Amino acid sequence: MNFVINRKHIATTILLISSASFAQNSFDAQFNFAKKLYSNENYFDTVTELKRLLFFDEKGEFNYEANMLIGKSYKQGAKFSDAIRYLTLAEINAINIDELYNTRIEIIRINILRRTTRRAINLLDILETDERFTDRSDEIKYWRGWAYMFADDWEQAAQTFAEIDTTHVLKALAEEVDDDLYSVSFAKTISYIIPGAGQIYTGEYISGLLSLGWNVLWGYLTINAFVSERIFDGIVIANFLWLRFYRGNLQNAENFAQEKNMVISNRALNYLQFEYDGLKP
Amino acid sequence: MKVVFLFLLLCITTVRFAQTGNIDFNSPNNIKKFADYLYCDDDYFRAAIEYERLADINRSDTIEFKIALSYSYIKDYYSAIQKFSGIINSSVYFNEAKLEEMKVNFLINDFAGLRSYFKNSFIAVVNKYQTEGEKLFNFSYLFTDDELPSKDEFLLPFDVNEEEKISSFYDWKKEPPYKKGTLAGIMSAVIPGSGKIYAGETGDGIVSFLTTTVFAFIAYDNFKAGHTTRAWIWTSVAALFYAGNVYGSVAAAQVHNAKITFEFNDGLNVYLNKKNYYITKYEFCD
Amino acid sequence: MIKIFFIIVLLFTGFVLPQTNQLKQVGDKAGWVKWEKADTRYEKPSEFRHREYSFDTENVSGFIAKSTANAYWYFISDLDGDNCPYRPSCSSFFVQASKETNIVQGTLMFFDRFTRDFNIYKRHEHYPRVKDGHYYDPVSLYTLDENQIDYIPPSVTVTK
Repeated sequence: MNFVINRKHIATTILLISSASFAQNSFDAQFNFAKKLYSNENYFDTVTELKRLLFFDEKGEFNYEANMLIGKSYKQGAKFSDAIRYLTLAEINAINIDELYNTRIEIIRINILRRTTRRAINLLDILETDERFTDRSDEIKYWRGWAYMFADDWEQAAQTFAEIDTTHVLKALAEEVDDDLYSVSFAKTISYIIPGAGQIYTGEYISGLLSLGWNVLWGYLTINAFVSERIFDGIVIANFLWLRFYRGNLQNAENFAQEKNMVISNRALNYLQFEYDGLKP
Repeated sequence: MKVVFLFLLLCITTVRFAQTGNIDFNSPNNIKKFADYLYCDDDYFRAAIEYERLADINRSDTIEFKIALSYSYIKDYYSAIQKFSGIINSSVYFNEAKLEEMKVNFLINDFAGLRSYFKNSFIAVVNKYQTEGEKLFNFSYLFTDDELPSKDEFLLPFDVNEEEKISSFYDWKKEPPYKKGTLAGIMSAVIPGSGKIYAGETGDGIVSFLTTTVFAFIAYDNFKAGHTTRAWIWTSVAALFYAGNVYGSVAAAQVHNAKITFEFNDGLNVYLNKKNYYITKYEFCD
Repeated sequence: MIKIFFIIVLLFTGFVLPQTNQLKQVGDKAGWVKWEKADTRYEKPSEFRHREYSFDTENVSGFIAKSTANAYWYFISDLDGDNCPYRPSCSSFFVQASKETNIVQGTLMFFDRFTRDFNIYKRHEHYPRVKDGHYYDPVSLYTLDENQIDYIPPSVTVTK
């Protein structure tokens, strides 16, 4: 009798364990297979295999992990809208604070990368005011700093990194970039006063001097025409020549400053992409 | 006894997980289920890849047809044509596949291919969609400069409610409201800018008239005042504007013609798209 | 004995599954391939216009047009502001037109372009725009070779 009871126990246990462990292993194996594809940079197939997993995972056990990895795969393929769609699904299925936080940070990183920085900053604002994440404020600030760098606001970026650590390497970088940048409004203003001055300020000496030359010439001819009471000539020269070159001078001052600034910030962004070792979006 | 019993248990559990507890993600049935899901989720490329993993024995007529449709939907027309043409006579989707093949020919603007396909294969083998095929065949003439069939012949396959629209397409194609470049040039040679106005460019025409006449007047005025050098400079400017205006009027007529042809073709495509190329929608997804 | 059976069962279940997950490779289809890892650059693409001053033409009319245009760009056009609503700009239009046809036809096309430049009436209904907002009015529309005309409607944003 004793033996019979034992046999029944054994039989039931074997059945339960084998089926339970099998179900577990089958889905785990599929997920691991997808992760392997992901680590081999085979992102298209990663998405396929994860979609397959999710399709058969009726209990929804992989809803968070699989959607998260689909989102990351799409991100690698620069399909940012798809990435955010799946990361949002992962966010909905997050079952603890860590998972919730991770998905939100991933979404923020994508918004930084695709330069929808205003959206990134809004999402960071929400995270920062959420009491559940107060212990992660440094990390939130770190991504805020990145969002400012991508938004070309290097001054704010430097301030944000300084809030984490006054010796933060990105604080130094952002500060350096901010110091190097030309002031577009200053370039324009001085060109208003002395034509060509803004161009000279941005290092475009020949263009500045040529602008000054034309403005002096047309200014002289205009004044000369008015002085000798050739009013019609004066109006024509002032309107079609002097004003034209004066306006061109202002446009150039602005364009040169903006173009030089773009070179400076792109140099920094290239450094961040290819040489900086820390976490990147 | 004990050993035999346990062996039996092992067998039972193995069989059990193979059937229910275990999910073999890559069994033919599961591949098909997953592919059906992808297809209905509009993920056609993945759907096609999954369907194609199935061995021939597991592929139904529907699957073969859905593979071809998937390629057509993702605009891989090369593969789509290959797949549609590979659908055999005994398939329940044979007629649909032939019509879809004509649609793909339309989408890749292979009108000559479409016509020879219609005449050489479609008429001979398809029994269900003859009228639809003929409609597409006739439509192809509206996209090319080949000689049109007679109007009665052209309108024959179309329904009464379509006739008016198709008739207007036909009339346009028969006598497109093109502007003649030579005429535009001659007109502008006589009255500067008038050729541009004729070619539909009223604003440019007025500007042409003004620039030519104003510079000509300045030249005339300078000649009258005895400023010969200045007068000749202004004469050259006026002459260049005048010649540019004649040249530009011919060009404007050509651009106008290209524009209305583009708009006509665009209208045809919109119409065909609205009619879904005379192909009925398939109910593969609920 | 029983323990051993347990272990065997567990091992067996563990081994079988990963094998069933091996995928049959399906080759990429012609015309449509699986997307791959994309290179997302941090740096911003530059939208500033840079003049092409170099001479790459071997015919005389092209050389004359290019020299004139270079001098005009350097001493005047680069300094008097962005006054041309079109792309290619009026001077670039002249250079391209002369290169693709000849100096006489290029000049006629250039003066015809002037006419369009002076006409400010309903440009947005006539021309498509390029990304920076200028109207797209290419040389190919006006060479009098109908095969070269590729009409683009105003609703389209031109990327070339």
